[in-house]
Amino acid sequence: MGFDIDFALSTLPTILSAIGMTLLVAAVSCVGAAAIGFGFEITRRSGGVMGYAVRFLIDFIRATPVLVWLYCLYFILPFYGIRLSALAVGIIGLSLYFSGYLSEVFKAGIDAIPRGQAEAARALGLGRLDMTVFVIAPQMLRNIAAPMGNYFVSILKATPYLAVLAVPEMLGRAFDIASETYRYAEPLTVAGLIFLGLALIISQAIKRLEGRLLRPMRR
Amino acid sequence: MSMLDIWLGILQGFRVTALVTLYGLIFAIPFGLVFGVAQYLTTGPARLVVTAIIEFWRSSAVIILLFVFYYALPVVGLMFSAMTVSAMVLGLNIGGYASQAVRAGLQSLDRGQKEAGQALGLSRPTILLLIELPQALVTMSPTFINQIIQLVKATSLVSLVTLTDMTFRAKEISQIEYDPVPIYLSLLLAYFVVCYPIALLGRLVESRVGPAREISGGL
Repeated sequence: MGFDIDFALSTLPTILSAIGMTLLVAAVSCVGAAAIGFGFEITRRSGGVMGYAVRFLIDFIRATPVLVWLYCLYFILPFYGIRLSALAVGIIGLSLYFSGYLSEVFKAGIDAIPRGQAEAARALGLGRLDMTVFVIAPQMLRNIAAPMGNYFVSILKATPYLAVLAVPEMLGRAFDIASETYRYAEPLTVAGLIFLGLALIISQAIKRLEGRLLRPMRR
Repeated sequence: MSMLDIWLGILQGFRVTALVTLYGLIFAIPFGLVFGVAQYLTTGPARLVVTAIIEFWRSSAVIILLFVFYYALPVVGLMFSAMTVSAMVLGLNIGGYASQAVRAGLQSLDRGQKEAGQALGLSRPTILLLIELPQALVTMSPTFINQIIQLVKATSLVSLVTLTDMTFRAKEISQIEYDPVPIYLSLLLAYFVVCYPIALLGRLVESRVGPAREISGGL
């Protein structure tokens, strides 16, 4: 029967209508992953038993597939009486999975700030809070903006995993069409191309942003 | 069902997980090498074509790529087994990431290396094969090892296209025995047992050759 381009185009509006869900999942998961990742990094820096525990947890997360994490949360949480929507489980799963990677971003971002910055702030008589807010944080944000952006793209590319839990994001919509029409190739290809386009556009935007952010630091 | 039965059940899927990883490497290694070198050597329109092919495999969401090729190839008359399609898609996706590591490794070399080769009267291919590539590959070896872990983790996706890997077996067992907690936790642990030694190897290699610039991240 071949690949029907007209049919493929006719699936475009339905699949595109779920782009908001995809971007929402990616954005919320990215914020969640950043929050957990920052917590991990702070705990790791403080050392002690908790520091080692977090270090092991990060290693564990990084050595296991995101799909299995989603299954785990989806099937295990209800067993303990925690009933969450598939969307919530998916967002928690992605946040947890990527927090291990983002903690490394925070680590690199903080490590890259020269020691002299903190020393100079202290020499100027800034308090600890002022130093963190006005000296360390802005420089850390500049260091982590680009890698964070790259992980946002990674998270975006992981959102179709949520289709496995029947969350109505773009791949889920594509599968809905496929099971109604018994034609899989066209809707799936359309979904794939939209994701590819999104990923490329956002990556380019991040590259530009990176150039602008790093310009003041080059001499 | 005892813990041992669960473990034996998941272990039955290990063969497929290992096979997809190995076959995937058969696609990933040549793709990464050839396209990484090609992107390094070419300029102008040729480079654009090479970059487009790399970006297609690298920037697409791998779960959608797998579904698209699994469902769309038969539509255009190409019949492959689920194993072949999975190895190709997962392999070329990782190969796309590897190509960026190869190119970055080559670009990070001192110009003097190439110039010294030219001064010795070596031809361009000889310089590439005997001087540039060996150094670049050693520098980037920690990144390659990381990418093998990404590949092993990505093989969990083949459970969605009917291959009986570890994830598929775990799902099967949990459908028979309604006892998801130990089954899915064992599955997480199974991937950890496979991937963590590779991660430790990566750290060992990294401590030998010095830290490589992390490029890929993601899935």
